[in-house]
Amino acid sequence: MKLSKSYLSVLTSAVLLGAGAVGAHAQAPTDPQIAEIVQTANQIDINQAKLALKKTSNPQVKEFANQMISDHTSLEKSVNDLAKKLGVTPEDSATSLQLKQQATEESKKLANLHGAAFDKEYAAHEAAFHQAVLDAAKNTLIPNAKNGELKSALEGAAPLLQGHLEHAQQLEQSLSGK
Amino acid sequence: MVVKEVTKKVGDHCTPRSRVLLIGPLQLQMRIYILTAVAAFFSAVCVRAQEANPASATNHTVIIKQVHFNPPQMVVKAGETVEWRNEDIFSHTVTADDGSFDSGLIDPGSSWQRTFKQAGTVGYHCRPHPNMRAAVVIQGTNERGAASNLASRGATLKWSLPTKPEELHPIFVNFTAALLPLSLFSDILGRIFRRQSFHHAAWWMVLYAAVITPFTAAAGWWWRLTEGSALPAKLITVHQWLGTTAVALFVVLAIWRWSTHKRAASPSLAYLTFALIVVLALVYQGTLGGRMVFGK
Repeated sequence: MKLSKSYLSVLTSAVLLGAGAVGAHAQAPTDPQIAEIVQTANQIDINQAKLALKKTSNPQVKEFANQMISDHTSLEKSVNDLAKKLGVTPEDSATSLQLKQQATEESKKLANLHGAAFDKEYAAHEAAFHQAVLDAAKNTLIPNAKNGELKSALEGAAPLLQGHLEHAQQLEQSLSGK
Repeated sequence: MVVKEVTKKVGDHCTPRSRVLLIGPLQLQMRIYILTAVAAFFSAVCVRAQEANPASATNHTVIIKQVHFNPPQMVVKAGETVEWRNEDIFSHTVTADDGSFDSGLIDPGSSWQRTFKQAGTVGYHCRPHPNMRAAVVIQGTNERGAASNLASRGATLKWSLPTKPEELHPIFVNFTAALLPLSLFSDILGRIFRRQSFHHAAWWMVLYAAVITPFTAAAGWWWRLTEGSALPAKLITVHQWLGTTAVALFVVLAIWRWSTHKRAASPSLAYLTFALIVVLALVYQGTLGGRMVFGK
């Protein structure tokens, strides 16, 4: 598989997200930080899907983007509700800030692409992004979540991310097949 | 009661100056008998059609929750209905791996159902989340066949107006199946006994057959399009195209028969042979139809 630039950049963030586990236990994210990382990831995906809806004319990409908006909005709401219930106020961390910065760069890149080139980049990035978030959830966020309910919510989100990952991979494949 | 009353009424109005009116009451009585017989026949046919295709009660539910289908393997009997209830916070689909059905997006809190008629295992997944995989195992009807299958599906004798294609097709098909063979039979009798009335009857029956058969085919196609995927693929394909061809053949037969009728002649051997071939095709067609509903 060809490693696209976006894949590499997301891979960096995956390593960074993973660093919480690999680095030092002292740097392990707290529950408020975990909540913010999850919400940041949700926001990034929703924003990029909105951008995709504006730019693409491919029905498959549109369907995928609409699904991302719908699913991540639901996930965001459920995390918000849970955070409120648990009295957790999401809090920025190096990881969440890094995610935001990378998303801004990716959005700029996407803004300059058009047509099939845009579709391919969007699908590739979505696959890589979901892979990174999924890895982070499994390796860093879930093991470090202190609150049981937050932990099980994260565990519950994993199959969703896995589904998005596989869907994005299918999309990528079908776009490159054309 | 009603028959007597009507007869009496018409009889009262009978005057000696008209011999035609004298036989009027008798004719009327006859007509009422025929109408009653036709109505009885019709309702019997409808009840039969109802029994063959009762509205299946939902008795199997797959819960969609936390991006999973639960249970991942649902075992049902042929003819039973499975309901998928989405208790998740995300929308999902129930999409057959072989493409034979797709629920479309089922929103949270909504449900979708499907009746499975053909035995076998159907794997399915969620289109937006391809990692969600599950299957429905449909067990065939047992050796006792159709009768016990009907019993297990809870067929009732309750009257209801046929509105669904699976109710209408078996009703229409009775006319198609009866009219053409009877027309042929009547023509043969006409040739044997040299009676023109047999030939008249044959002409009218083939005309009725040509008029009603497009409806039979239309109901069949409607059925096929709504739930054809649940029917055996090979059988339905042959059945649908043979049926469609039959519509055209019936029209050809009616036109051919009409040209003979116009000349007040008896139909040729060529016509009778052709009609016989169509009748045989119809018998085969009916066998396929029966197999699809009742199994082999």
